[in-house]
Order: sequence, then structure tokens, then C-alpha cells
Amino acid sequence: MQLNPFVIVIGLFLLAFAGYLLWLIYAVATSPIPLPYNFKSVFVRWRSTAATILGVALVVTVFILLHAMAAGLQRSSANTGDPRNIMIVRKGSTAESSSVVMREQFKMIQYLPQIARDAKGNPLISADIVVIINLPRRDGSGEANVTMRGVTPMGMALRPQVKLVRGRWFVPGKREAVVSMKMAKRFADTDVGQKFRTGGKDLTVVGWFDGNDSAFDSEMWMDADEARSIFDRDNYCSLLARLANTNAAAAFIDRVESDKRMALRGDFETKYYAEQTSTATPIKFLGSFLAVAMSIGAVFAAMNTMYASVGARTREIGTLRVLGFRRRVILASFNLEGAILAGIGGAIGCALALLAQWLCLAFGVHFGTLSIATFSEVIFQFRVTPALLVEGMIFAMVVGVIGSFLPAIRAARLPVISALKAV
Amino acid sequence: MATNGNIVSIRNLSKVYAQGDIQVTALDNISLDIAAGEFLTLMGPSGSGKSTLLHILAGIDRPTSGECHVQGVDVTKLNESQLADWRNQNVGFVFQTFNLLPVLTAYENVELPLLLTRLNRSQRRRQVEIALGLVGLADRMKHLPKQLSGGQEQRVAIARALVTDPQLIVADEPTGNLDSHSAQEVLGVLQSLSKEAGKTVIMVTHDPKAAAFGSRTIHLEKGELSK
Amino acid sequence: MTIGTFILKNALRNKRRATLSILSVAVSLFLLVLLLVALREITLPVEGAGAELRVAVRNKISIANLLPAKQLPIIEKIPGVEAVTPFTWFGGKYRGEENMSFAQFALDPKRVRGVFTELKMPAEDYAKMEQQRDACIIGKITADKYKLKVGDKMTLESTVYPVTMDFTIVGIYSGTPDDRNMLFRQDYLDESVPSTKGMVGMWWLKVKSAQDMPKVISAIDKAFENTSAEVRAESERAFQLGFISMWGNIKLLVGLICSAVIFTLLLVSASTMSMAIRERFRELAILKAIGYRRRELFVFILAESFGLAAAGALLGVGGAYVLFTYNDVGKLTNGMFPSFEVTPRIVATGVLVAAVLGIVASIMPAISVAKMSVTEGLKTLD
Repeated sequence: MQLNPFVIVIGLFLLAFAGYLLWLIYAVATSPIPLPYNFKSVFVRWRSTAATILGVALVVTVFILLHAMAAGLQRSSANTGDPRNIMIVRKGSTAESSSVVMREQFKMIQYLPQIARDAKGNPLISADIVVIINLPRRDGSGEANVTMRGVTPMGMALRPQVKLVRGRWFVPGKREAVVSMKMAKRFADTDVGQKFRTGGKDLTVVGWFDGNDSAFDSEMWMDADEARSIFDRDNYCSLLARLANTNAAAAFIDRVESDKRMALRGDFETKYYAEQTSTATPIKFLGSFLAVAMSIGAVFAAMNTMYASVGARTREIGTLRVLGFRRRVILASFNLEGAILAGIGGAIGCALALLAQWLCLAFGVHFGTLSIATFSEVIFQFRVTPALLVEGMIFAMVVGVIGSFLPAIRAARLPVISALKAV
Repeated sequence: MATNGNIVSIRNLSKVYAQGDIQVTALDNISLDIAAGEFLTLMGPSGSGKSTLLHILAGIDRPTSGECHVQGVDVTKLNESQLADWRNQNVGFVFQTFNLLPVLTAYENVELPLLLTRLNRSQRRRQVEIALGLVGLADRMKHLPKQLSGGQEQRVAIARALVTDPQLIVADEPTGNLDSHSAQEVLGVLQSLSKEAGKTVIMVTHDPKAAAFGSRTIHLEKGELSK
Repeated sequence: MTIGTFILKNALRNKRRATLSILSVAVSLFLLVLLLVALREITLPVEGAGAELRVAVRNKISIANLLPAKQLPIIEKIPGVEAVTPFTWFGGKYRGEENMSFAQFALDPKRVRGVFTELKMPAEDYAKMEQQRDACIIGKITADKYKLKVGDKMTLESTVYPVTMDFTIVGIYSGTPDDRNMLFRQDYLDESVPSTKGMVGMWWLKVKSAQDMPKVISAIDKAFENTSAEVRAESERAFQLGFISMWGNIKLLVGLICSAVIFTLLLVSASTMSMAIRERFRELAILKAIGYRRRELFVFILAESFGLAAAGALLGVGGAYVLFTYNDVGKLTNGMFPSFEVTPRIVATGVLVAAVLGIVASIMPAISVAKMSVTEGLKTLD
């Protein structure tokens, strides 16, 4: 993590805030004013505070949902691959589609001893072609790039997380393809039985598969040799090898990368996909930026609400002072009320975010956007993690404490007398 | 600092404050003794300084000069925190507008001052029940202020004023917002606090009929005592 | 005192509340304008001068697939075509940076001026590019960012070709809508990567006149039909829109967030203003007792909430306008938003939202005032 001034300022602020919060908690814990008083006061004035609560709720929802989108994007990358597999691509290429692995290299690598073998003694290694094709969307909103993977039967066997859900697998030589179920919902002419056109040929969709929430959910598959011929490729894009023993990984990768003619890079398949997270970054940034900006408005609103609350309860505050309650206690009490208010808003915000996620799951709604890593469509969904819910609540509390701080100070500083004369 | 039966000893008390550009003299060099167990009424036209005197006595306002000894303690010399503690233990205040916290029940309102003491829950309960019993509202403990009549609210307020067993009960126009029947009830309670419980009650009022309940009446005019 | 000053005094009686209300409206409107402008910039294709006459030709499979260089003479011969250049994306990384801020393209230096007529650069620099094999020219924004000048060397590692290549900067250009790109020679690329020699990324061409465009596009598509490299020709605008549609649900997303912002704004501000009115019930009752009619009281309320909303709009929308119009957002966001225009339409939208807010905020108080009886109001002590 870089230590630029921005991060330092945020860090100091959070530290100071945490310190103040601790004091607040201590003051409230030892406070003679009972917690139910604050709760009741907030609820009694629920009409005037409702708008602020809802405002905080929306800020929290926006924050959580945008970060949930980023988390969803990262999840499909993180969830991809078999831990026993090693992925081999050209060194320096970022996308499989622009990687080139030569046929000679494949021929050489497939006989390396670390690769597992099947019952017949064939090495468990496959060579894929990955091509980006452009297809029209189902809703007519234009076209998008799609990852088409030319795969051999061995390639399919090495990816057990991909399962057929409708129809059947393609038969080589018949111009057939299988499509990810989630992709099929977004692209035209991809129902089982339909044909779509690419590379000058019509391909028939014979089945749908489920990638199990992995990067494969954003792909379409066809026969590797057919792909080579349609898209005019002499060489492969990537190799996928199953290790007999994962301890041999380092030795295997070393051997692969030592090829002098054409530099190759080998890595665990899971690690290779997990590193493709660059698409999520701008969304996370957007989420944080928007949340901060909206919460500035929320802070002003909370301030206004609390000032009104203090104004309406001037006599109450004065009475408490007369009875002997100290200013410190009054400050803590009102600040706590602001936190409670915002906490309720935060809880509602979290609930709304979870509702949105549930609705999408229930109706099978997925989102798609251009992946920076693969330059083609990537499908993802909201993923509201517990961590995000906690972050959302913390956000809400910060807004509440900051927003009610000045009004709480005002409450504490009301002179005992003028509070009594208030009409 | 000899008390010689006087619970309150005021010497040369003055209060001057600024209202915009004008200097207003609320109290002008007042000296006064109040004996323990008295029911004293302060009367005078509006602006005469009677409320100001009451507030200084009760420790919720400060004079510009002079001294005010209550039970041997010069309240004018205490700082904010000390004054708060002192008020809690030594004064019970009854307001014209009752000043009950609307979200708390009668029981909880009366319990409020006790939360600042070291009493535990059951000890507090005892005190609250006694106080509410004294004002005749033991059966209304769970009611919220809005569920009580004006007179009942004020009686709850008196119970709250009593609950820490202070020597001094201070009342600022306690019957101002009550109908005559409730006013009678409340004044009766205050009187019995003085006659039977031996508390010192100091009441500000503009109503001569209310003043009649007291044992002694003092008149103030333009910040000065007049007889 | 006039009615106007009476309203003004009322609105400003609680300066702190008025300030906070105005500020919260201003912040939300600022954010709204920001989102609308960003959305518009992302979804609107950047158009340089001369864009109306340019056509993009890419491999029909997808833009990621290459095209054979031998298509060039065929395209040149099509009537209506004025100039053609290859345009190949290099995808290079500079100084090991993870997120590159500028793209690099290989092209034909002799032909580029004919197609991208808005490129501004001294003529000698074009000549230098034609003479020197490893020559490249860079846009002013990138030159400024990395403090590069003519004569400096650049090394880039391609993520799509198996090479790292060195270049010499011979010129710095400007005048295009996106002055960030680095342009170098296609033949140099061909030499360095023998495996893709004879292949280009795409073609950019300029047609002689707008009327020629539809003919040229269909002629090009037809010319390569049923060959091993079928093409898709489209106008520059369509080409850019194609990229934008790849963003997918982003537009929907930003739209939803804008709605959330507006809704929150309305809710919160309306409630604040209602609070203010409720506090003044007694005064409104007195006014009613004096003889003011309900109608006039409505006007007072409306005027006050409109006033607050207007002040918020001035600050928020006006502030956004001034900030984005007089500041080089391109520089601030590292070229991510080369332009950030606050259009009259967006300004109008912001003002409209403020106006609606002014109305909505006064509804509840107006209803309460209408229902209130004078004696009730006078009794209100709170």
C-alpha cells in the first residue's frame, strides 16, 4: 500500500475518530443517563428524523452495492480453476487471446514428467485457442466482445467446475458450440438449437453450461481444431496441465519458463485468474467516491435534524442540567443519539442492499461489462459480503457521530438558565 | 459561616447583566436570611428580580457580586461541576412549566436525580416510591406526562424535587399553568412539606392567594427588597 | 418592510439552519451534475474535427483479430476513398506501469495526415517520421505527463506482441480530442515481429464527402465478403458507439445512482424545510389572526423553500459549472476525461431538480397550515 498523503490523512482521521468513539462509549457506559432515554427520544421524533435515517440508508446502500459489484467481479476471477492445474501462456501477455504458444512448444511440454497421466498413459494436458468474437446483444443495445474458447476433450476434463445444464456437448467437426448459460441470456441467437455467425461460418448452439460462478461463466466453447481452422490460427493460445503432484509445481514451471526461443510463463491456474482484478478497481473507486460525496450531504442533513432536535428539547436539557447532570454527559448523550439514528439508517441501508442482491438472484439477473483483462464481456453479480455490511455500518456511524457532534456541543453548552426560559 | 438556624444567608447580592447595549440591574445589594423549615414566598411585579434571586439561591445562576450561603456552603464560589453535584443533593426545583421529560414515565422522571447517586436499583426504587407516595401519585407510576393532568404533572415534578431528600425546595411560579383546583392541591403539598416534613420551601409567585399558603412573604421591586 | 424582506427575514432567522439546508442541497446538486456530466462523457463518442468523414474498418470477427495488409490496395481503389492508413494497437507497457494511461498505434506516416486531418504538428516532424525507422510521435498530454521532449527515447513492452521495442520521439502533436496516444511506424513493427508481418490491426480511412460514406462502407464490406478476412466498415461515430455499448450495464448503474441521489436530496431537504415551518406555526397563526389568507401563507412558505432551493442550486450547479469549465479536468484525471462539459441541458436539469425540491418541500407545511385553526396555532408553545 503506497503511503501517499491522502492515505495518511485518512489514517489519522480514523485514528482520531476511533479515539473519540472510545471516549464516547466510555462516557455513555458510565453515564447516568439511561440508554432507553436516547432510544425513546429518537423514536418519539421519528417523523422528523425519518428523512435523515432514510438519507443515511441510501448512502450506505449505494456504497455497499457498488462495492458488491466489485466484489462480484473479483469473485468470478477468484473462483476459477482447479488447484492441481498449471496454466501456461506467453510471457508478457495479459489476455489469453493475445498469448501465443507454439505447436513445437506444446509438443515438447506435454512429455514433461511432472504432468499427470490418465489410465491409458496420455498426459493430462490440453492446448486451447482463445479468440475474441463480436456478437449482438439480445436486447438490441449493440454488440459486445465475447471470449470464444476452442477446447479439446482433454481441456474440458481438466475443468471439472464447468457442468452441462442443458442440451449436450459439441461434437467436433459439426460446427457446434456450447454457451455459458449466463452469457446465453445476454446474447442473441444463443438458445439451444439456434445458430450464430462468426468467422464467416454459422455455429449451432447445442448446449448450455454453468461455470459455477467462475470466469468460465463469461465464455463460449467450441472444438479446438475447428476454431483453428475458422479463425485461421496455426498456434495455440494457452496450455493447461494437471500436475501429478502439486509439489512438483516449481520444478515444472521452471522447466516451462526456461525455453529460450519463445518466453513462456507458467502459474497455478487459480492464481492466474485471481490476478485478473483490474476491472474491479474503477468500480470500487467510484463506490467510495460516491459514498463519501453523498455522505457529505447526509452529514449536513443529520446536523440539521439534530440541531432541530436540540432546539425542541432545550427545556429538557436545561432540566437535566438543573438536576445535576454534567455537560459532558449531555454531549455524549446527544452524540450517541446521532449515532443511533445513523445506525438505524445504516441497518436499513444494509437491508436494502441485501434485498437488491436477493432480488437479482431470485430473478436470475446478472450484470455484464467489458473486462479490462480479457477485453471481452465479463458477467458478474452483486456479492454483498459480511465485511461490506460492517463497512457500511461503520460508514453510517461516522456520518452520525460527525453530523451530531456540533449540535451535541451546542446542547452541552446551553446555559442552565436560558434553557428554563425557553418557550 | 454560622448558620444559627438560618439555612440560607444572603449578603449584598447583586446581579447586573447586559441586554444589548443596556445594563440591567436585576438585583441590587440584597441581604436576606431564611430560617430552616420556612415556607417563604417571593412576590413582586415582573422584572422585579424575584426569579433571579431564586435562581441564584438554587445554584442555577451566578450573581455579579455578593455571597449566598446555603447550609454553610457559599454557592457563589462553587465551579460548574461542583454546583451540579450540589444541586443534585441539596435543592429540589419545581418549574412553572413542570419540565418533565416527555419520553419518560412518572416513575422514570422521579428516578432521574437518583441516577447521579450511588444508590442501586432497589434503593432507588424505595426512594421513588416514597416520593410519589408523598404527593399521592403512587398509582400513576407508569404513566407518561401526556397521560397526566396539569396538576398531576406538577405533583410528579414535586416528587422529583423531593427524591434526593434535599433541605431546600425551590418553586418558580409552580401554579402559573394550573387551574385553581390543581393549584390548591399543589400548594397544599408544598405547605405540608414545610410544616410536616420540615423542608424549607421558597416559592416565587405573583398570586397573593398562593402567597397566603406561605409562612412569610417578601416583596421585591426593581431588584430591591421592600416590605 | 416589504413582503419580500419579510420572507427573507423569516428564511434567515435561523442562519445556521438555512446555511445547512442550502449546503446539503448544494452538495447533492453538485454531485448530481458531476454524475450527469461523467455519464454523458462516457457515453458520447469523442468527435474530432473531420470525424464525420472517417470510416473505421475492422475484422468482422472482432476488433481483436488482425487484417491482412494486402487489403490496402483494394480499399484505395474504391471510389470515394480519399486516404487510408493501417492502425495497429500495440498494447505496450511503459516504465512497468500497471495501468497504462496512453495507447500506442502503428501506422503509415505517409498516409496518416490524409486521414487524421486535425493532427497538428510541424511538417518537418512528419518528414522525420518518414525517414527514421524507429520514429514515433506522442500527444501533448502524455508528453507533459512524463516530461518527454523531442529526441527522447521510449521503451515499451507489448502485451499483445512478443516484443519490447525502442522508439525515438521525433514530434509532439496536438489538436485531436485525445492527445494522449503514441504513434509509430507499421513497417518497424513488421520487422520486429516477423510472425505477424503482413497483418494490421484495422484500417482508418477518409472519404471524399459525406454523401460518399454509405457507398464506401457497403463497398468495403462487399469487397472482402467470403474471404478469409471479412471486414466490418462503419463510420467513426458508429465505431465509437460500439465501444461504448461494450460497457454494458454501466449507464443503467449510473442512472440508478443519480436517482438515489435525487431522491435522498428531496427527502432530506423537504423534511428540513418542513421542520422549519413547523417551528413557526405560532407566527403563522398570528398572521392568520391578523387577516392574512391561506393563499398568502402558502406563498410565504413556497417563497421560502424556493429561495433555499435556489440558493442551493446556485451554489451546487453554479459551482460545478465554474469548477469544471474553468479547470482542465483532463489534466486532473490524468486524461481519463479529456473533456468534461457541463452542457446547458445538464444545468437545466439541475435547476429543474432544485425547483421540484422547492415545491415538494413546501407541500407538507402548506397542508398543515391549511388545516390549522388560529387558536390551535396560538396555543402552540413548541
